[in-house]
Amino acid sequence: MDIAFLDQLWAARIPLVRGLGISISISLLSIAVGTVLGVLVGLALTYGARPLNWLVRGYTDFIRGTPVLVLVLASYYVLSTVGIDLGPFQAGVLALAVFCSSHVGELVRGALQSIPKGQSEAAKAIGLTFPQTFAYVLGPQAFRQALPAWVNTAAEMVKASTLLSIIGVGELLLSTQEVISRTFMSLEFYFFAGFLYFVINYGIERFGRYVERKTAVPS
Amino acid sequence: MSYTLNFAAVWRSFDLLLQGLALSLGLAVVAILAGSVLGLVTAFGLVSKSEVLRRPAGLYVTIIRNTPILVLVLFSYFALPQLGIRLGKIESFVLTLAVYAGAYLAEVFRGGLIAVPPGQREAGLAIGLTEMQIRTSIIIPLMLRNVLPSLGSTMISLFKDTSLAAAIAVPELTFEARKINVETFRVIETWIVASCLYVATCSLLAALMRAVERRLAVPR
Amino acid sequence: MMKSFTMVASLAVAALALPAQAQQPSSKLDEVLARGHLILGTGSTNAPWHFKSAEDKLQGFDVDMGRIVAKALFGDPEKIEFVNQSSDARIPNITTDKVDITCQFMTVTGERAQQIAFTIPYYREGVGLMLKADGKYADYEALKAGGSSVTVSVLQNVYAEDMVHAALPEATVDQYESQDLIYQALESGRADAAATDQSSLAWYMTQNPGRYKDAGYGWNPQTYACGVKRGDQDWLNFVNTALHEAMTGVEFDFYAKSFKTWFGKDLTPPQIGFPVEYK
Repeated sequence: MDIAFLDQLWAARIPLVRGLGISISISLLSIAVGTVLGVLVGLALTYGARPLNWLVRGYTDFIRGTPVLVLVLASYYVLSTVGIDLGPFQAGVLALAVFCSSHVGELVRGALQSIPKGQSEAAKAIGLTFPQTFAYVLGPQAFRQALPAWVNTAAEMVKASTLLSIIGVGELLLSTQEVISRTFMSLEFYFFAGFLYFVINYGIERFGRYVERKTAVPS
Repeated sequence: MSYTLNFAAVWRSFDLLLQGLALSLGLAVVAILAGSVLGLVTAFGLVSKSEVLRRPAGLYVTIIRNTPILVLVLFSYFALPQLGIRLGKIESFVLTLAVYAGAYLAEVFRGGLIAVPPGQREAGLAIGLTEMQIRTSIIIPLMLRNVLPSLGSTMISLFKDTSLAAAIAVPELTFEARKINVETFRVIETWIVASCLYVATCSLLAALMRAVERRLAVPR
Repeated sequence: MMKSFTMVASLAVAALALPAQAQQPSSKLDEVLARGHLILGTGSTNAPWHFKSAEDKLQGFDVDMGRIVAKALFGDPEKIEFVNQSSDARIPNITTDKVDITCQFMTVTGERAQQIAFTIPYYREGVGLMLKADGKYADYEALKAGGSSVTVSVLQNVYAEDMVHAALPEATVDQYESQDLIYQALESGRADAAATDQSSLAWYMTQNPGRYKDAGYGWNPQTYACGVKRGDQDWLNFVNTALHEAMTGVEFDFYAKSFKTWFGKDLTPPQIGFPVEYK
C-alpha cells in the first residue's frame, strides 16, 4: 500500500462513501422486500392448494435457475418493453428482491417441512386452529431453523448488489470502477472494495451467530 | 410499447450460445469436483478438535464466503501474475471458482458431519476400523446423504456463478450473450434466450439431484 | 348577415383545426423543452470520453457533446440529467425511451443505424497500439515480426479480433470487459500491446508519462455520433443543428475548448466566407 494509493483513496473518499451508502440501501431494501415476499412464497409452497402451489413452484424454480446478473438485466430492459418503466435503482432492487424471495421461500418451506409431524398433530390434539398452530408451534420453530440460512442469504444479497453496477446504479463497485478509470489503480481499489464488502458481510455473519445463539433451543 | 421483439438475430447466433453453455457447464463441473475435495478436507478441519487445523480452515471459509466472487476472479487473474503465478483465463477462473466452491461446500459438509451420530464412529472403532477407514466408508457416505439437498442447491448456484467468467473474457454463456448484444443490440431477446438456457440447465441439474436423493433416501 | 356567417364559418374552421393541431405528433423537442432539462445517456468509466472527475462530476468529450445540445436547448449547458449506462445499454435505452439522446463513443454502423437514428459525426476515431516503454517490442514493426507470440489486449467487441488482425495478422487477441483491464493486462505482462482508440491511449499516456509509448501505427477509422430514437425528424434535426454549429459556427469555441481539454490538440477555426461544408 503505497502513498500514491492512499492519496488517491483520500481524494476519492466522497464517491466511495456514497457508493457504499447506495450498496447498503440496495441490500437492505432488497432483503426486506425479498423476505416478506419469500415468507409468502414459502407458505404457498408448503400449504398452498394445487394450482397455487404449482404456480409458486414454477416461479421459484425459474428465478433460482437464472443467474442474478440475468435477472437484473431483464428487470431493467424487459419490463420497460411491457410499459413498466423503472429507473435502474428500482429495477435492480426489484430483481434482487425477487431473487431473495425465491431463496427465502425455499428456506421457509424447508424449515416448515423439517418440523416433525407430531408437533402439528399435538397442536391439533389440544384444539389449536391452524393459524394458532402456525403462530405458536410451527412458526417459532421454523424461524429458529431458517435463521442461519437467512443470514447467509442476506450476505449473498450484499454481494449480489455489485451486479447493479452493470445497469448504471452508482453503488460501491461502480464508484470503484469510476475511480479506477481516472486513477488506473485497478488492483488497489478492487482490493479496497473487496475489503469493505468483507467487513460488511463479516458483520452480518457475526450478527447472525448472535441471533442464532439468542434463539437457540436451551439444552 | 413501440419495441417489437425480433429473435432472428439471436437464432442466427444460437450455436454460439450453446457453445457458451457447454463451456459454462465444463467450468462448473471441474470447479465443483476440485472444490468438493477442498471442501471435504476443510470440513474435517472445521470439525477437528485440533486448533491448528480448525483455525486456518475457519479463516479460509470466512474470508472467501464474505468476499464478492467478482473481486476474487479479478484478483486471481490480475494480481497472481504479479506474485509470479501465471495462469490462462480458463485455468484462473476454474481455480477461483474451485476455491470459492471449497468454502461453500466446506460449510455444507460440516453441517453433514455434525449430524452423523458419534455412535457410528464408535461402532466403527469397535469392529476394528482405522480412523481413515471410518471416514471413507462410514462417515463420508452418511454425511453425503445428510447434505444432498443443500449440496444440490450449492452446485446449482456455483453453476450460475460461472456467468462471472465473462468479466475476464472467458467465452461462456453470459460472455457470448453480451457479445451478441454488442453485435445486434437485441439485448432483450438475447437475455430471454440466455436465461431460458440457464433455467433449463438448472432444472435438469435439480431433477438429477432429486433423483439421486430419492435413490439414496433412507428407507422408512 | 354576411359577417355572422363568416364568423360561424371561421369558428367551424377553428373547431376543425384545433383537434387536428392537437393530434399532430409532438416531437421529443417539445417534450424536452417542456421538461426543462435534457436526459443524456452516457457511461462513467472511460476517460477521456465519459468519466468522473476527482470532484465526482461527470466529464469528458461525450459529456461535452451533451452539454452543447443542452446549451442550444436552454442556453445552459448544465441542464442535463445523466443516465449512467454500460456500452451494451446504449441502443436499448434509446429505443425504450430511457434517454433523449445517447453520446457514448458510439461507432456508426449500418446495423445500428437500422435501430436508431445517428446524428452528424462529432469525432473520427482510429485504433492505435500502446507498448510498455521498457517492453520486449520496440514498435509496430517489431510486433508484426513477433507473429503469433505477440498477445494484444483489446476491448470486447464483435469486431475486435478482425480489427487487431488487420494490423497484426498473426497476433493472439485477448478481449476484456473494460478499458482499465486492457491497460492492466499490458502492465502485468499478460499482453504485449494494448490496442484501443488512439484518443484513449493518448489520454492514458499523458496520465502516466514515461511508462508507455505509442507503437506508431494507426488504422481502422470509425465515426462517432450521438444517437436518438428513430422516427422523430424534428428532434434529430435540432440535435444535428446544435452539433453542426458547435463544429462550424457560433459554438465553435465551446467545441474547440473541449477538444483541447480531452485530446490535447488545438483546432483551426473554420474559415470565414464560403462555408466549409461545400468545399
